[in-house]
Amino acid sequence: MLGLRVVLRNCRAAQKGCIRKISALYITGDKANENYATLHPYLDFAGTFDERASLEQSIASRGLDISLDSVLRKYQKYQTHHEQLQRVVGEREVVTQNLKDLTRKGGSEQQIEELKERGKTLRNELKVLKQALYPIEDEFIHDFLHLPNRLHPQCPTEDQEERLLYRHGMPGGTGDVPSHLQRQDLIHFVDNNRYYMMGQAAHFDVNAMQSLARYFVTQGDFVQTANPDFVRCVLLEANATPLGDYHMVKEEQLQNKINTAYLTGGAAFESYLGAMTKLCVYPSVLPLRYVCCGRSYNRADAQQYGPTPSLYTATQTNAVQSFVATQTADQANAQLEHTLSLSIDFYKALDVPFRIVYAPAAALTPSESLRAVIEVYAPSLKRYVCVGRISNYGDFVSKRILFSTRREKQYEFLHLVGGPVLYTTRLIAALLEHNKRLEDCKLLGASRKPTMEQDVQQFKDLFK
Amino acid sequence: MKLLTNAQKLLLPLLRRQRSSKTTTVQAHDPTAAGQPALTSAQLDELERNAVLRHHRNNVPLIRKLIEASVGGDRSVEQQLAEELGQLPNATHPRLLDYGEQPRELAQYAHRKMPPKPKEFSELARSLNLYRMDHLGNYTGHKSYYLTGQLATLEQAIIQYALESVTKHGFQLISVPDILPKEVIESCGMRTEGERTQVYKLDTGECLSGTSEMALAGFFANKVLSEEELPLKVTAVSRCYRAETSGLQEEKGIYRVHQFTKVEMFAICTPGQSEAELEEFKNIELDLFKQLGINFRLLDMPPCELGAPAYQKYDIEAWMPGREMWGEISSCSNCTDYQAKRLGVKYRRASDGQVLHAHTINGTATAIPRLLIALLESYQKEDSIEIPTVLRPFMDGQESITRNKRIPETKLVKFIKAAS
Repeated sequence: MLGLRVVLRNCRAAQKGCIRKISALYITGDKANENYATLHPYLDFAGTFDERASLEQSIASRGLDISLDSVLRKYQKYQTHHEQLQRVVGEREVVTQNLKDLTRKGGSEQQIEELKERGKTLRNELKVLKQALYPIEDEFIHDFLHLPNRLHPQCPTEDQEERLLYRHGMPGGTGDVPSHLQRQDLIHFVDNNRYYMMGQAAHFDVNAMQSLARYFVTQGDFVQTANPDFVRCVLLEANATPLGDYHMVKEEQLQNKINTAYLTGGAAFESYLGAMTKLCVYPSVLPLRYVCCGRSYNRADAQQYGPTPSLYTATQTNAVQSFVATQTADQANAQLEHTLSLSIDFYKALDVPFRIVYAPAAALTPSESLRAVIEVYAPSLKRYVCVGRISNYGDFVSKRILFSTRREKQYEFLHLVGGPVLYTTRLIAALLEHNKRLEDCKLLGASRKPTMEQDVQQFKDLFK
Repeated sequence: MKLLTNAQKLLLPLLRRQRSSKTTTVQAHDPTAAGQPALTSAQLDELERNAVLRHHRNNVPLIRKLIEASVGGDRSVEQQLAEELGQLPNATHPRLLDYGEQPRELAQYAHRKMPPKPKEFSELARSLNLYRMDHLGNYTGHKSYYLTGQLATLEQAIIQYALESVTKHGFQLISVPDILPKEVIESCGMRTEGERTQVYKLDTGECLSGTSEMALAGFFANKVLSEEELPLKVTAVSRCYRAETSGLQEEKGIYRVHQFTKVEMFAICTPGQSEAELEEFKNIELDLFKQLGINFRLLDMPPCELGAPAYQKYDIEAWMPGREMWGEISSCSNCTDYQAKRLGVKYRRASDGQVLHAHTINGTATAIPRLLIALLESYQKEDSIEIPTVLRPFMDGQESITRNKRIPETKLVKFIKAAS
């Protein structure tokens, strides 16, 4: 329990770390001169504040330091000012229209002059109101963007621990098992950013990744992609990813100083968001199922599996990332199960002790409503370690990145499900500690390229 | 199939002549050569000629001044002198001295009849829903791209094909890090500072690797290998990060990008082996592209195209019919002891036990984006792309790539108004 509390505290600290004073996701007009807005998130105030109880429960279960009362007060202030501003805008439009009509109909000079004067007054009034609104808007919208997603009914809440969903094999004895790092014929570990794998470990590193992606394509009807490795801050904020999870890339010629790039790797959930931002798809392509091979450079779990650095704490890994978009919440639930089921097949074939758990609310990022974690048992650490996780985001992230479909002339935001289903580095470490010969491991989805012997046999068969 | 000249015949007499002339440059750029007799004026002249010939920053006048100033024994001057000597380029293979500024075409290989009205990669890939590169700068960075559907599968097939080929030639696969300390990158001959650096830096001060050659060279840093282990041949699949940019029309699309996947070959060998090893690298590369059935040519690169570390370098350029141009898809270089001296990669000579600097060779087995351009443009049909025979086993026997209707088209909205 103590371990869990430490983890939760770390997660909370990480989440707090993502709160910035300035946001790339929402830029008020007064700052737009220096930093242009790249995205206008859909701000669903009504939908968010409608069910206050569930939002409060989500905030409390996640252990977030957010006062909903305070946010609501700021909302009221924002609304009052905003309505006032809208009234002036409306009045100004009427004046402009009247002025046009009068000019066309040949109204009296005095009338025209009066309207012009009124227009000028309204313009100045609007300017003053806007200036007054910026700080109010800034304060409220940033608080609003920090509000978390609702929790999924299956997510363990409050002080509940993770919930076991599936288990394969048992951890085994309680004796000390040497670390995988002792396999110096296969691993040369320098630090969390730098390690090398040789021989069968290196082959497994590439093969396992390619095989699983292929399994998703052939058996799960996923479409394969290859994604960019950098993701800009605006998307990390949209996904409520703690910025400390990834390394920031220093760019020489950065046009938008608050929208910096982060090294996520192509096989990161956030990398998919780039292709989905502002995208409107036809319902016929839904559910949209994507999978990709690539790198992941996430350093979020390093503390959790430390303090001794090892392949369990390394930042870089080969990974397989899944990404699914559906039209409804029910479909999203079904797709999460579908993705989990494919992953279970893969890990079962490896015959390594593993389990799938729903992570407690306190471990989630604010955008996740539910997270299923695939964990293999790491004998040297005497604990399970995450080799993948599939999350349900509902339509929380889609609203922020404007990822939608059209139904009956209305935009509907898509429900997102996805996450890494394999981190090769941690899996290799665990397999070695379980004394598995990597070359003998059965990889579902491995390409069945005919061997020379099979070719010869096929040739001989022709003459039978 | 080999249309023009035989490189081996052309180069052998020159290869024999080269050894006598490389002493000064080799000695000068040796950062470990402290305490050796100072360079003579004639030697400095030779270094200057080499730097100018290679269009390298000519720092020899500065070196002359620093040598004079260092007589007083000023530590900072000596340090600056050592840094400047480290910036000098490698020696140049003598056969390249009269090449001028143009590469010499050694051979052309034609395997395919080109389509009559070839389309360019981005047009082809977009029409088949295989790729996206537009409107991404604000989200995933300048010149970022997504490969979708069978094009992404093709990328993995190419990696598998290349790995299978090079491992058959005795290359051992190594998984390498992409985040490296700047010292390793600089030791490989890449500058990490200055406005025109091609190296990305992270907030931690570390750098992103531009090619796995850097990580592989770093792996062997400060190691003393036995001569029996050499040539030691390794390969890696890695992401390559390059900050370079280009506004040239002929480099549009995925031709020059900031991130891509590459299968790299790297070897450590003795000075006596490096010439032959470079030829082996070149032959492996030629074979890889012959089997892929594209049209390409082999170039022997002139001094000004060698960069700082290479002593000699071959490039392979594929014909890209949609772009109507030759585009570099692969290269291999003999860096002699340039990298080895900076990284302390050594071997123990079997005959007398003496510890000497090794030589390093690097070469590209496959770099994905440009190879995809060459393949798609060469194998295009009316409504599909034919998959090269050697790649089909890695793609479930599929013979062609067709339009995938399950991948959404890029229809973007600017703004969605919230319901009031």
